[in-house]
Amino acid sequence: MTTDNITFGFFDEDAKKEIRRAMLKAVALPGYIVPFASREMPIARGWGTGGLQVTLSLITDKDQLKIIDQGCDGSVNAVNIRDFIVSVTGVEETTATPDATIIQTRHRVPEYPLSENQTLVYQVPYPEVLTTVEPDTARQKEMHANVDYAKLWVLLYEDTAQFGDSRISSRYPVVVNNHYVMDPSPIPKFDIPKLSDNPALQIFGAGREKRIYAIPPYTDVKPLKFSDREFAIEDFSGKACERCGSEDVFLDEVHLDDGVHFFCSDTYHCDTHLKEDRGAA
Amino acid sequence: MSYVAIKGGAEAIRYSKDFFHSELDDAKSISDQSLVKGLRYACDRVMSEGALYTETLAAEAIRKTGGDLLEAAFYVRAHRSTCQRIGSAEPIDTNQLRIKRRISSAFKDIKGGQILGPSCDYVIRLFSSLKSSDNTEAPLFEETDIPNIRVESALTPLRRDDRVAMLENEEQSPFDVTRSFPLPPYPRSAVMQIMARGETGSLLAFGYTSMRGYGDVHPTIGDLRLGEADILFTHPFTGNRVKIGSIRVTACETVGSFNPDPKDGKLRLAVGYGFCFGFNETKAISMSVLDLAMSHKGYSVGGQAIAANPEIVVHHVDAIESMGFTNHFKLPHYVTFQADLQVLNNARKNNDDR
Repeated sequence: MTTDNITFGFFDEDAKKEIRRAMLKAVALPGYIVPFASREMPIARGWGTGGLQVTLSLITDKDQLKIIDQGCDGSVNAVNIRDFIVSVTGVEETTATPDATIIQTRHRVPEYPLSENQTLVYQVPYPEVLTTVEPDTARQKEMHANVDYAKLWVLLYEDTAQFGDSRISSRYPVVVNNHYVMDPSPIPKFDIPKLSDNPALQIFGAGREKRIYAIPPYTDVKPLKFSDREFAIEDFSGKACERCGSEDVFLDEVHLDDGVHFFCSDTYHCDTHLKEDRGAA
Repeated sequence: MSYVAIKGGAEAIRYSKDFFHSELDDAKSISDQSLVKGLRYACDRVMSEGALYTETLAAEAIRKTGGDLLEAAFYVRAHRSTCQRIGSAEPIDTNQLRIKRRISSAFKDIKGGQILGPSCDYVIRLFSSLKSSDNTEAPLFEETDIPNIRVESALTPLRRDDRVAMLENEEQSPFDVTRSFPLPPYPRSAVMQIMARGETGSLLAFGYTSMRGYGDVHPTIGDLRLGEADILFTHPFTGNRVKIGSIRVTACETVGSFNPDPKDGKLRLAVGYGFCFGFNETKAISMSVLDLAMSHKGYSVGGQAIAANPEIVVHHVDAIESMGFTNHFKLPHYVTFQADLQVLNNARKNNDDR
């Protein structure tokens, strides 16, 4: 089998139609998780098949595609997924955040602000925010229907009482449109504020768990937090990227023989910032 | 200090893939015939777990993966996603199989007889041959011996006597898990499909929990059959009923305990059903035990046990999913791990400040 005899976007049209219908429902009900059939992909479950199916159902030959993993265009899995999508669509690939019309991501929201003509597709391992407190899917559905998030509040309370703050580091629960509580995928808390009021459409695809959900553009998204507690993001104060000098971005902590170093997690941001600096100099 | 080192590097990936392929170079010389006939149980697992009956692609997948059967089934599943569905074939009645092997452990003798067929059940698993006369004699079996046998299930007489509990059919048409995924309460047809595509080892492990003590006490195999099923299809243009081929399948009916039937209070036996592509007795038996535990809760001890819980079975028996997710932990997780460390540091600080 070569990729020559595969249709545009890998899937047959019925599969795309089903995924598009799930996405439409997801957009109409912000933060609500919609089940879908989730075809098997030539890339393994847990490696971004949900995001991949969303992207392949959205993509047209006019799109410009950017794929990142941990904020990096060159990461193993990002390269692999990008190669696959390009091979079954022939679309143009880009690393420039502002040029991309579809950005598929794992674990990060790009530093560069997104715009209305962009869709951010998240790869999601655990779509159900309630899993940690209630593993039974029937009960979860009931709890969402009743807007019953008491167990999450209790978890938050217990953590705050024992450890001074929630122990959740990534995948911090968010309230979407003042209704459903949603798992934002394993992005760091640093990226949570970017979800709210974002001009781009944000779609979340969980392939293994067979769920799709969405945050439509300009939707209110708040971290689940007691009103008298501040939502603290990862702290990089006093640190800057050693390559481009950026501050106020998410920094990767790199341990080398000569000590700890910090670099931008978002490689596009790092490259452009470096270029601007050189241009100015 | 190097910035590039923390990137994956497309080049490195390409070399790694090439390295993998070159390691398996010898597999190229294994023919389809050798795999389909010689390693037929491997091909059967790949077709069954890959959820597509295709002997040649199963063979190709085994070659491509160096015999890693989970990976091979994954190839078949991925290929399945590219196949346009033309329509649905007629349901297969496993009473109508052309039997190659059919046994019942519930009865000493049954209508149609105990047909042992090809089985390794009685093989002494020694690498060296035993010094017995067995090995010196000419083989007792020749391919031409196979008659065209069709026998009804060994449980048919019990059904006729109204001694087997019949489940209500609450579904208009079977659920199709490849076209939408079910929400709880899960239709039985959906659960059966998920198990029929499930991984042998996973079904075995969950089924085994039930046999060992976390569920139904002791299942009895009512009818286990291996054979060929004809696939009948309504021709899309002529409208005629046509046979489009035949597939080798395994089916199993397992008898559990009896209880008052919720329908009328009469005592009846509970029966579970298992079915899969190819010859795989372990899988079909395990599936039937799980079906028994899930579909007849009142009949099994420990209705809340693992095997009786569709939530456990539906979400954990598919190897394409469990294997993929398990291996994804090899992907970089440094952003989330770093966030973890910050939370640890903050909590430690909070702890120390007390």
